[in-house]
Amino acid sequence: MPIAVSHFTRTYGSFLAVDDLSIDVGAGEIVGLIGPNGAGKTTTLRALAGILLPTSGQITVDGHDLASDAIAAKKRLAFMPDEPHLFEYLTVEEHLRLTARLYAVPDFEPRAKALIEELELAGKEKSLPGELSRGMRQKVVIACGLVRDASVLLFDEPLTGLDPIGIRKMRQTIVARGRGGAAILVSSHLLHLVEEICTRVVIMDRGKKVADGTVAELASRAEAAAGSNLEQIFLKVTGRE
Amino acid sequence: MIGASAYIAWCSAKNRVRVRLRRLREPRYLIGAIVGVAYFYLTIFARGRRPGVRVNGRGGGPPALPAQFALGAAAIGGLGALALSLLMWLGTAKSGLLDFSEAEREMLFSAPVSRRQLLVHRIIRSQFGSLFASVLIALFATPVTGSGRIRLAIGVWIVLLTARIYYAAVSLSRARLQSRAASTRLLARLPLAFLLVALLVVVTNIVREFRDVVVAGPGDVFVHLTRVASAGMPRVVLWPFAAVARAPFAGASADVVSGLLPALLVLAVVTAWLLASSDAVDAVAGQGGGPQEKIEKRAAKVPQAARSVGWTLPLHGRPELALFWKGATEMVRGTSANALRIAIPLLVVIVGMTSAMMGASGMRQPAGVVSLVCGLLAGVSILFGPQMMRTDLRTDLQHLELLKTWPMRAAEVIRGEMAWPVAFVSLFASAAIVTSALFSGTALPNQPFVDRWSLAIAVIVAGPALVSAQFAVHNMTAILFPGWVQLGSQRTRGIDAMGQRLIMLAAVLVSLIAFSLPGAIAGGVIWLALHRLVGNVVLVPAAVAFSVIVLVEVLLVTELLGPAYEKIDVTSIERPE
Repeated sequence: MPIAVSHFTRTYGSFLAVDDLSIDVGAGEIVGLIGPNGAGKTTTLRALAGILLPTSGQITVDGHDLASDAIAAKKRLAFMPDEPHLFEYLTVEEHLRLTARLYAVPDFEPRAKALIEELELAGKEKSLPGELSRGMRQKVVIACGLVRDASVLLFDEPLTGLDPIGIRKMRQTIVARGRGGAAILVSSHLLHLVEEICTRVVIMDRGKKVADGTVAELASRAEAAAGSNLEQIFLKVTGRE
Repeated sequence: MIGASAYIAWCSAKNRVRVRLRRLREPRYLIGAIVGVAYFYLTIFARGRRPGVRVNGRGGGPPALPAQFALGAAAIGGLGALALSLLMWLGTAKSGLLDFSEAEREMLFSAPVSRRQLLVHRIIRSQFGSLFASVLIALFATPVTGSGRIRLAIGVWIVLLTARIYYAAVSLSRARLQSRAASTRLLARLPLAFLLVALLVVVTNIVREFRDVVVAGPGDVFVHLTRVASAGMPRVVLWPFAAVARAPFAGASADVVSGLLPALLVLAVVTAWLLASSDAVDAVAGQGGGPQEKIEKRAAKVPQAARSVGWTLPLHGRPELALFWKGATEMVRGTSANALRIAIPLLVVIVGMTSAMMGASGMRQPAGVVSLVCGLLAGVSILFGPQMMRTDLRTDLQHLELLKTWPMRAAEVIRGEMAWPVAFVSLFASAAIVTSALFSGTALPNQPFVDRWSLAIAVIVAGPALVSAQFAVHNMTAILFPGWVQLGSQRTRGIDAMGQRLIMLAAVLVSLIAFSLPGAIAGGVIWLALHRLVGNVVLVPAAVAFSVIVLVEVLLVTELLGPAYEKIDVTSIERPE
């Protein structure tokens, strides 16, 4: 299983952010991770990316334990955070090149060129992050994540700051990567996006997983009215109706 | 608007204090606060009780200087203020007073307030910093007590406020020089014209003064400069600068009014100049009304065009070298032309002062000057370079979320982050040492060639090890105590943060001694064993032994720090308030 989270718990001091969470994401699956603010979605994604250590539990990426075999696990995953962290004195092209070097990407030049076209960054290759809008910086972060052949993709609010064309392209990109066999976990508050592109949805609330399944399965379990959309299901499951 | 500004300032200050008190619940802040309070108590309040420490008595004013010296100090202070004013025009950096926060830009620029009112708001908001600094200086001033401290604080506050407002006015005037209106450009040029006239008058008179005299030493230079600055036209043109420079010393009872009034007058004129230039606020603050991207470009503190570094990162090789390349690229791009504009005049001043000192001590040859300056530069860069050059984990902890996703061993990340600054400081110091050694024959003719070059080679060999050890110590503290490390240019404030910095400074010094000790012992043993046989040439093998041992220690430390790096919690890193 490309992503296997087993009994993951994370605390910040006395605050329990994620409580005994278990999720699996298979190859080719696009799983949406949704929940109200403070539900523990970002903590989960950061732990999956190797940024935060679990307080307890185990996370494996393509069978590699993120705690004991971190380098092998990290080579296989790409994390696209909601806040674009870029080095202020490296250009767009240099960010891609640095990523390619660190991840030993074999055919960097054609990949980078294709990505730059795909994400509409053409003409910005020599630009510094300070010259770019927030949406553009977000695209650079996504390009750095996609320039390597990661088998696990983690997106945290991937559409933040993107323009309508960028949003459409990003949706297409995520779906194409999923069809290409990548295991994808997408955290977003845009429920229509999750409903549209995800094959499965995990709902978290107050650090716990409260629902897991396809939209139809969730609707059935939540006893939602026929034809309910994800937003209605979400409100019902989290008791915020 | 003044009421609103005062409200913002009051609420911000109140909440800042509340946040600082709340964070004392964390042991690191509590320990820092205890150390900070203890430091304050021991250096300020307990000082007067120590035997042998005398204070000025009740209500003592600022340091009472001998009349002749006080006159000279004010005159020289005026010269210094003139030089600083010129430097402000040379720089292109924006004044901190015009550094509107994101919230201010979003909320106040769109509010129905004039740009002049915005400037008044910024002046009010900056008062906490200026007042805090003034009080701190007054508290630390040894011979001053009681109401004298208040008078000194007022004097220092006037100086700081005038400098701050002057720099803001310079920033606005520079923007107004680009105006399409000829009258605006002309008005913007007036202060600069006055400054240039003052400079011309002062320089002409200094040259005339020094033309026919033989300078006996630094004291003599002071006397001649005082004579120039306190008479004739130079005295007239330097009056505003000297008035401000004299303000902190205006506490001696009779001088309070007569000493502060001229400074207040200068402050009023400078403030009027700032407010009259308010039409340029939008251009300087990045609110020119162009497309959003242009606004963000102006607001960004990084250069707007990527300067070519002439080095493309190869796609294969050790990961440490990728970080080495990153460090080099960031430094090349981060060193602005503006920094060079400041550095070059500073270098000229240093060389000039050194020349004067060398001239006074009879070493007139330019070679001697070069040798001494380069030797000093090498020493300063080896001892203080690692403290100043923070382009390692001390800066990149800001990007920890990104670094931790990279498939690199922790030791590789640490070594990679250190690699460029170590190489740069070492190369700079080595180049300075070689230059110093090349010219040392003229500077130190009585020292044998072999001795001079043995010392130079020993420093070149030992320097990089010492530099590496210092960077290792700084990165070790960053990893072990990430919450106590300043990230980049950020500066956490508060008495607890000051205490933390004191603890860190002590920890760095102790660690550095521990690092250097085994190598120093090995080098010492070699020196004792071989000095009688080969003379000072033994410095070279002793330095080699020192370097090998210290570098092995550095490698070991980077490996041992791996688990600690893996455990750093991004939430433990101090974020700017």
